Amino acid sequence: MKKPPHHYHLCPLCGFEFERTETHCADGCPMGRFCNLIRCPNCQYEFPAEPRLLGWVRRLFCREPSRATQREMVGLHELEVGEQGELVCLSCEQHSRRNALAVYGLVPGSRLLLQQKRPTFVIRVGETELAIETGIAREIFVKRIPREEAAFQ
Amino acid sequence: MKGNQDTATLNVGRAATTAQEAAIVLVGNPNVGKSVLFSKLTGKFVIISNYPGTTVEIARGETRLDGEAVAVIDTPGVNELSSRTGDAQVTCDVLRDHPSAKIVQVADAKNLRRALLLTLQLAELGRPQMLVLNMMDELDRCGGRIDIRKLSELLGVPVVPTVATAGTGIHLLQKNVAVACNASDFVARAVAPSSGAAADYDRNVERLRRVNEVMGQCYTLDRPRHPTFAQKIGWWATDPLRGTLLLALALYFMFWFVGLVGAGTFVNFFEEVVFHRHVSPWAIHAVDAVLPFPHQHAMEPSEYKLEIPLTPTRGIALMTSTREVLSSKYNLAPGVTLSWWQEALRFLHDFLVGEYGAITMAFSYGFAIVLPIVATFFLVFSLLEDSGYLPRLAVMVNRLFRGMGLNGKAVLPMVLGLGCDTMATMTTRILETRKERVITTLLLALAVPCSAQLGVLMAMMARISYPAAAFWVLLMVGVAFAVGWLAARVHRGQTSDFIMELPPMRLPQFGNIAVKTLARLEWYLTEVIPLFILGTAILFFLDRLDLLSKITRVCEPLVKGWLGLPPETANAFLIGFLRRDYGAVCLLDAATGSNPTLSAHQVLVAMVTITLFMPCIATMFMIARELGKRTALWVTLFIFPFAFLVGGIVHRLEHILGF
Ligand SMILES: Nc1nc2c(ncn2[C@@H]2O[C@H](COP(=O)(O)OP(=O)(O)OP(=O)(O)O)[C@@H](O)[C@H]2O)c(=O)[nH]1
Ligand SMILES: [Mg+2]
Ligand SMILES: [Zn+2]
Ligand SMILES: [Zn+2]
Repeated sequence: MKKPPHHYHLCPLCGFEFERTETHCADGCPMGRFCNLIRCPNCQYEFPAEPRLLGWVRRLFCREPSRATQREMVGLHELEVGEQGELVCLSCEQHSRRNALAVYGLVPGSRLLLQQKRPTFVIRVGETELAIETGIAREIFVKRIPREEAAFQ
Repeated sequence: MKGNQDTATLNVGRAATTAQEAAIVLVGNPNVGKSVLFSKLTGKFVIISNYPGTTVEIARGETRLDGEAVAVIDTPGVNELSSRTGDAQVTCDVLRDHPSAKIVQVADAKNLRRALLLTLQLAELGRPQMLVLNMMDELDRCGGRIDIRKLSELLGVPVVPTVATAGTGIHLLQKNVAVACNASDFVARAVAPSSGAAADYDRNVERLRRVNEVMGQCYTLDRPRHPTFAQKIGWWATDPLRGTLLLALALYFMFWFVGLVGAGTFVNFFEEVVFHRHVSPWAIHAVDAVLPFPHQHAMEPSEYKLEIPLTPTRGIALMTSTREVLSSKYNLAPGVTLSWWQEALRFLHDFLVGEYGAITMAFSYGFAIVLPIVATFFLVFSLLEDSGYLPRLAVMVNRLFRGMGLNGKAVLPMVLGLGCDTMATMTTRILETRKERVITTLLLALAVPCSAQLGVLMAMMARISYPAAAFWVLLMVGVAFAVGWLAARVHRGQTSDFIMELPPMRLPQFGNIAVKTLARLEWYLTEVIPLFILGTAILFFLDRLDLLSKITRVCEPLVKGWLGLPPETANAFLIGFLRRDYGAVCLLDAATGSNPTLSAHQVLVAMVTITLFMPCIATMFMIARELGKRTALWVTLFIFPFAFLVGGIVHRLEHILGF
């Protein structure tokens, strides 16, 4: 099975680094598949893709950019069992996967509770217990909700 | 339910279009109780189980509203209406084919957010609809409260609270169907239309934003501090350690109940006492009286031992009895030649009560051996289905199944296959990609024995040693994995993501279990027993036309040379083409019957070969229906030679294995 090459993009607005392979700008763009805009999964800002060569050069000569927002935003797999989080974004490569999560109410802003990690992730969204694979859990980015605050909701 | 029993019914001004073709369609998320409501409304039986994806095909019935008969349609559960995803296809088709039907959306009151997401999508269709908030009892238990009047006002459609399993609110629902109407503008206003896969997601995000607005005004939650016992069991079931223990426990219980009590105690009773001592002698007498020709039936001993089994070899013996009974074997009176008329009578006599007789063979196999086994199995199985354990099993095996190009969800059809492979083949529809469906179907047909066969195989296991039995189990699992692994490499398709909803663990309801078990038994009696009779008739005629011995001779290189079995077992394999459990019963007879002809090693070889056979003709037709004739042909062409191949290899390993 062919795996698409991964390149990383860095959002110029919020500094979120993410992987993206297929198209880029929001659908319905008149330029269709030739449009070269990329959308940041974190802040929805659209920006032109950085040419790959330039990316190498930048990575060679520049220091790692600071990623302020990424620190408060963690992958679901980094949460501890029993911790709650607020979903910030889904960085899934496939739209269908994002939508598959959305129909369970998993969209930016919704709260979830991590119930178990092994053998498969189980989270709780509202009254739904949802089992999701580790691979998908890594694509879900959340903001930790402190326990004190979580207890009151 | 709290004080919000009353239902707000408003916007009558925008009330329903005049329904010439009066019909209501039950739509909703998976596992919310649509089928329970359907059967309460129509009085018709449909399968109800506690896992998402029980209903895969629509069911139709009728209910009376104001004395008028109205058609009711039950649909498979959907999380969204986009017809791009295959699982919503059936439901979308129903809605399209019944343009004037009213939509009754059934919702799990606990999961109001997900339900409303669907409400909004339905509202965009611009048709009369209403919302049923089911499972109000569970909402109460988890501390939620819904202001129903407010919700109805916001949505602009009637909202009715129900507890479908208890029958509460059904009447109110029937009354309110008349005032079902188009939803309010706030809800029905279509979200920005755009195309492409990303659009689905974006639109759902927008819808959920609106849903949250609605929820904020009418939903409060005050969750109790402590989880319930059922919740805890649910968590244990998906825990690596406790889950494995629970699984082992469940498996042993199943083995004990089906393999030992069902296939042991019950079969013994039905076979020896009911059939051997009463039904067969009685049938022989009756047939002899009606079709007289000079002959004398022999007597044979019948031994019966009543025992409560503990392990396969130990049990508490309660009683034993021995008796001489009439046998189906007979001798002609010496020195008599039969006239053509008597020969004809004899032919009929043999067809009914001879060696391959409909009563002495088909009925005793079908009713005395297989029926007790499937009855006990269906009972345990219904318990398992209704508890909510099966989806949790999927969580446990997901990793394992990945190796076979499947995801954990495929465990559902596989476990259902232990009940009946044909039904399970249809259930593969809950899998998302064709690749998953093809592989699961192949494995079902190849290595998942159905209830009847499983019971017979367990009975055969009693003839072989523990290591041999363990070898058989491991070999079947190993073969399944190896074939699955290979198929996953060969098939070019994709495997879908594993995202699965885990329903709450529930205490199975006695009524539902009983009805479900009986319905499945009825199915067995009407679909399987006739096949048994057909198979017996084929054997009988082959025997009469002297073809059976010819076939036996033709098959000798295969059966004797390759598998190392007595040539007479060819008839078992022959009949195994029709139904493999029937073939297995024939082998069981050869292994443990009155004069066993198989050695322990031969029993093992026979077990391996017959397990890998195609389940039955019906399964083949079902595969053709679900996946196309070509796939069915390939699966068949692969399975039979493969079964003989593996059987032969096991035979060659006799000296290495040593059992
Ligand atoms: N406590 C409670 N359980 C219910 C209620 N209604 C249904 N159930 C249970 O919910 C489970 C699912 O019911 P089904 O009728 O099979 O659900 P469905 O919506 O048809 O599901 P799919 O066909 O899979 O879409 C069963 O175990 C029912 O016993 C209710 O009002 N209260
Ligand atoms: Mg159903
Ligand atoms: Zn950004
Ligand atoms: Zn007779």
